[in-house]
Amino acid sequence: MLFNSLHFLIFLPIVIVLYYLLPQRFRWMLIFVASCYFYMALVPYYILILFFIILLDYFSAILIEKQQGYRKKVILVISLCSNIGLLVFFKYFNFVNENVTWLLDHLERENPIAYLDIILPIGLSFHTFQSMAYTIEVYRGNQKAEKHLGHFANYVLFFPQMVAGPIERYQRLGEQLKKHHVLLYGNFAKGFRLILFGFFAKMVIADNLAPFVNSVYANPAECGSLSIAKGIVFFSFQIYADFYGYSLIAMGAAKLMGIDLMENFKTPYLSKNIAEFWQRWHISLSTWFRDYLYIPLGGNKVKVARWVINIMIVFIISGLWHGPRWTFIIWGALHGLFYIIERGANKLMNLQTNKTNPVYDAIRIIKTFLIVSIAWVFFRAESFEKARLVFQSLLSNYDVSDKVKTDPKIWVLLLVFILTDILFFNKKLEEWMAAKPLALRWSIYSTFIFGVLALAGAENIPFIYFQF
Amino acid sequence: MEQLRKIVIRIVALVLIVLVLNVIYKKTFWMKDLDNHADMLYELLTKQDTCDMLYFGESSDFHTDSLDTDKRSISRIAADHFPTLKVGAVTRPAMHAGMYCAVVKHLSKNAKVKTVIFTLNLRSFDATWINSSLESYLLKTKIMYQTYPAIVNRFLFSLNVFENKSEKEREQDMLDQWEKDELKFPYPFKYKNVREWDKGMADGGFILADGSWDQPKIDLACHYIKAYAFQIDTLNNPRLRDFDEIVEVCKEKDLNIVFNLLAENVQYADSLVGKDLIYLMHQTRDLLVKRYTSKGVLVVDNLEKVNGKDFVDQHWTTEHYNQIGRKAVGDNLANGLKKFYLKEYKNQ
Repeated sequence: MLFNSLHFLIFLPIVIVLYYLLPQRFRWMLIFVASCYFYMALVPYYILILFFIILLDYFSAILIEKQQGYRKKVILVISLCSNIGLLVFFKYFNFVNENVTWLLDHLERENPIAYLDIILPIGLSFHTFQSMAYTIEVYRGNQKAEKHLGHFANYVLFFPQMVAGPIERYQRLGEQLKKHHVLLYGNFAKGFRLILFGFFAKMVIADNLAPFVNSVYANPAECGSLSIAKGIVFFSFQIYADFYGYSLIAMGAAKLMGIDLMENFKTPYLSKNIAEFWQRWHISLSTWFRDYLYIPLGGNKVKVARWVINIMIVFIISGLWHGPRWTFIIWGALHGLFYIIERGANKLMNLQTNKTNPVYDAIRIIKTFLIVSIAWVFFRAESFEKARLVFQSLLSNYDVSDKVKTDPKIWVLLLVFILTDILFFNKKLEEWMAAKPLALRWSIYSTFIFGVLALAGAENIPFIYFQF
Repeated sequence: MEQLRKIVIRIVALVLIVLVLNVIYKKTFWMKDLDNHADMLYELLTKQDTCDMLYFGESSDFHTDSLDTDKRSISRIAADHFPTLKVGAVTRPAMHAGMYCAVVKHLSKNAKVKTVIFTLNLRSFDATWINSSLESYLLKTKIMYQTYPAIVNRFLFSLNVFENKSEKEREQDMLDQWEKDELKFPYPFKYKNVREWDKGMADGGFILADGSWDQPKIDLACHYIKAYAFQIDTLNNPRLRDFDEIVEVCKEKDLNIVFNLLAENVQYADSLVGKDLIYLMHQTRDLLVKRYTSKGVLVVDNLEKVNGKDFVDQHWTTEHYNQIGRKAVGDNLANGLKKFYLKEYKNQ
């Protein structure tokens, strides 16, 4: 089920009403059934993959807890390999196979392995990572194995965040799912605010930018440099509004049930460097990689050369996590490279990164935004060739006439979005809003409601991160 | 209880806000949205207070032949017979009764328009058109024509709230219908349904002197079978329901209703497929004329008014006519309209 569908807008209130009507001991069943229904509205039989992951990690964790030493490690490895194996099979099999074919073609050999005609189960990367985090935490002794299969299933399946995160840890989400939540007006108000702003970000900002971006990327060679530049900047905001919008709706839907999900974004485009950007962008994924890959690799407590390798490994895998394409790998590698260069430059020049000077800060924010936007070209382009055409047009096709027209409305909406983002800098949306006087608060609600109802994009575009 | 009361008050406040926002929307972005996404309604709203008659139609109204010297549309030709009256055209390609019905509901009771003319296209009742891939686009547009508050329509439009079947699903529905609908003749006929008939024709329906198949002719004949070999299921045909609803809606608005039954290439249908297909075409025409005449509708029958050579598309089934064909249909329509506007009629 898509968040931006009538189906969801009917489904959510029904679940919320039932949730508060049911006694606590039955609520886990409701969440389980609702989550299965939510997932099965997309491709029904893929729920079996989720059940497999749930059973695998549920029993693995119990066994890990019971075992000691070598056996404990073996069970963890089996569990992780199974999760990753599943992910690799569904997501990367054809990618690997394509590259093997390319390689064999150069050796004038034929690849005997056929291409698999499979659709990627929606959100597979998210729930495998969430489930793996749980078994690793149990292995590390930070988390007790959950004995109630239903509660564990709900941790993996919880519908607000099951298909595109935030990637939660059991300590946080699992425990909240088991708690008794009473009906509180405060939760409704916060949930409503998050959902409203989430819909605004997705339907009004992202979906209005998408047609322009699609036109530019469909035919970059025919666009002038101005249109290309606009397309690049617009995509930066499209993907942010799209994913941020999803995360807000997820947080809002959970909040209606009294459950807090972690914040996934903290005004990332106001970051002054790439390191800060990754502390503000897709936080649940970057912390996952930090805790379960970067630190186990040695983190920064190693020699410089090894640290550089660690950083590149993390960023490249993070790129690959998004999808089976070389452009994602390049995107990840670019971020890794920029990260290392920035760190190196700061060290060499002995820059004081924490000093505050508004002009200097603004320059650094713009610099970081430009770097991130350039890297997004590889993320958005379907192929390396397409990315090359985008850059070629940008740098050589000097044409200030706007070949791909933009609705003037988009500029106003984008400005509203950017200003809102600046306003929310280092603040929580719902707390900022709750502190305002009633009249102002409801005026803001009305403006956003009007935006969602009357100014949303004409096309119903699925969330970008649903494909991951 | 206190918590619940607070929530309910806020929900009521939100509903009131949406009602106010609807008024703001109608005064600001609505017409622009209609122009961009639902232009038939835009045309209706901009013409309803200046026109005496509205002509709802599809491409048959305005499609011309490259050799035509008279490029006038059917509605224009008919309008020229009534120089003192103003006829407005609300026409878009591939439109059908389902769309006309949704649009005409918005016609104001106080509008100047007193007569509404709808093209009654035989093919629009067949499985091909009902399950056309264009239907997704039309259904999306139709969201904006619903009678909900305008801002609600706009929101549902963004959410794609319509039966959004894939092309593959629509094609399957079409194939199923060709198989399911049995053809009944008052005499023995060797094919049970369209699938069988189509297959029969495709398996060497036309053989050349050298014994080979005349494939272009076979393809065209198959196409005629698929387009016209149907018998309207009066209980379930969606297009028939749409026309029935149009009649009800227009009667409520006290309008003169005219159905302009379009000409089809009966000559080619006869020469390519034969009298069995003509029997079905006549049967469908008779059913429609009888059904709607009895409901008080003026049905102008043009079915055989246009010669085969005056169809623009000689290798396909359409209702696109050259200037001679359009003149024949337009004049016949004007002649029918004399029933309501005898004094205003001028012979051309």
